[in-house]
Amino acid sequence: MHAETWHNVPPSLPLWQRAVQGAQRHLRSTAAVLVLVLVLLPFLWMLQMAFRPAGDALSLDLVFSPTLEAFAGLWQDNFARSFGNSLLVSVLSTGLSLLLGVPAAYALSRWRFKQRRQVALWVLCTRMAPPIAFTIPFFLAFRWLGLLDSVWGLVLVYLTFNLAIVIWMMQGFFEAIPTALEEAAWMDGCSIWSAFWHVTLPLTRPGLVATAVLCFIFSWSDFFFALILTRTQAVTAPVAIVNFLQYDGWEWTKIAAAGTMVMLPVLLFTVLVRKYLVHGLTAGGVKD
Amino acid sequence: MPPTASLDAGPAGDLPLAGEAKGKRTPAATTLNWQRESARAYGLGLAPALVVLAAITLLPLITLVVVSLTPLSLTDPAATFHFGQPTGNYAQLLQDQRFLDSLWVQAKLSSVGVLLQLLVGLGLALLLHGESRLLAGLRTFFLIPMVLPPIVVALVWKIIYTPDISPLHALLEQWGWPVRSLIANPDTALWAIVAADVWQWFPFTMLMVLAQLQMVPRDPVDAARIDGANRWQVFVYIVLPYLQRTLVVCALFRLIDSFKAFPLLYVLTNGGPGTVTEVTNFYGFIQAFNFSYWGYGSAIAVVMLAIIFVLSALVSRLGKNRGDAHAR
Repeated sequence: MHAETWHNVPPSLPLWQRAVQGAQRHLRSTAAVLVLVLVLLPFLWMLQMAFRPAGDALSLDLVFSPTLEAFAGLWQDNFARSFGNSLLVSVLSTGLSLLLGVPAAYALSRWRFKQRRQVALWVLCTRMAPPIAFTIPFFLAFRWLGLLDSVWGLVLVYLTFNLAIVIWMMQGFFEAIPTALEEAAWMDGCSIWSAFWHVTLPLTRPGLVATAVLCFIFSWSDFFFALILTRTQAVTAPVAIVNFLQYDGWEWTKIAAAGTMVMLPVLLFTVLVRKYLVHGLTAGGVKD
Repeated sequence: MPPTASLDAGPAGDLPLAGEAKGKRTPAATTLNWQRESARAYGLGLAPALVVLAAITLLPLITLVVVSLTPLSLTDPAATFHFGQPTGNYAQLLQDQRFLDSLWVQAKLSSVGVLLQLLVGLGLALLLHGESRLLAGLRTFFLIPMVLPPIVVALVWKIIYTPDISPLHALLEQWGWPVRSLIANPDTALWAIVAADVWQWFPFTMLMVLAQLQMVPRDPVDAARIDGANRWQVFVYIVLPYLQRTLVVCALFRLIDSFKAFPLLYVLTNGGPGTVTEVTNFYGFIQAFNFSYWGYGSAIAVVMLAIIFVLSALVSRLGKNRGDAHAR
């Protein structure tokens, strides 16, 4: 990894020229900060709205005394229930994806069988397919099975993308671990899976955490599936927001507060897995 | 490098020991045994995931295609297994002006959106590329739009585009240039969506380009600078060629994803005004879930799948040729 970059100042330049370039670098930082503020402005606007008193929502005054009124109002509107649904669905689907996906990823990383490439490709393809192609069959099947508007239905649907993420990401992490340690464990009489459990898996713990967090984020953020496959019981937080938009007569502070609640866990988690984010988002396609 | 010779041959190569310790089998037989044993173990690990994956991807796909061959709708449950006119839905698609319009809207949204995302992402990557601590720290904050749940992005822009409460509209009014809601105006609605979409997704290109910029070798750049090339020339003739493939892969990725755009459309314009922002995905959604024409909606989904399949094949071909690792 070279930290030095193509536009950096060669150290051999005379002092005055280096000073000029240093100034230019500060210019660059200043510009970057300005652009950042500009880019985040729409987002920050929503954030400040969430803390306004309800009567003050439409005001453009930047000075106001922040209040948690809107959040309290959300609580009364049973938003907590949708929030709980979101948590439950995301945790369950993440857990199930790891349970099924991690062993599969390990097998794919260590076992050279003939159809390996095709299997990997098939797993990756699920990332590309448009959700509508899944929702129609799932909707019809769920209507028949009585799974519409149920938490388990959503958990099942989220497996379509989470399983692919787990298999794809974990495969990469396993391949980065040398096999020598496992082989030593085998020689000591460990079975393949006990060597995996005691030797390999602990080594990939950071990767495992990152993968779990990404699964959580993707399940948490889904809007499309939840909109179509839930009605009242299993409504998740993103869908509940839209219901605010439709029925609550534009209580903007509340809507902004709900948005803030929904993005909070995602923002926190993102800081944790920043490094692996692109990995997860580009799952498929570029990987050979 | 640790000794990984056994990676390709399976662990059998240098591991005859598991059975040999018992002193009963010849090494060759043990090797075979171990191979069989490991294959069984790996198979057991892989099987549950593949079975579940088949159930939740292949079955729906087959169902989708089968349903697309029937006139299944809410009003006509008897049509479930009606295959009298298997290509009826597809024939109808070709004559459905609203569907054809939706393809055109999709083309406009995707092409302009992806192009702008590339430009903005590339520009910001170049701005943020450097070894200063501050710049490195700022990068993270630029990722916010991309990681926000899509519904929150839609909400943010709903606020921006709603004149009563929008700081944008307030500013424009103050400058003596009041405009009516951008998303209610047929001339601007699609471009308002594109703007929000670009805001959400430029960080993707930015991230990928930043990763690639770190791999640009120093030597040719230094050589060019010594030969008197200015910054612009270095960028165009040396850096840009290194970024070329990354940019193409980014574009294809975003193109594929742009076919799935939903929350922005649903919350901001709901396909309107009229049908000016109704993309193919949205039209399929309406046919299936608003009008309950599942057969017809499925046919639309199948067409989209076909388009995406072609694009994905392109991506994976490009990915394969990339000698260096994919962007991380």
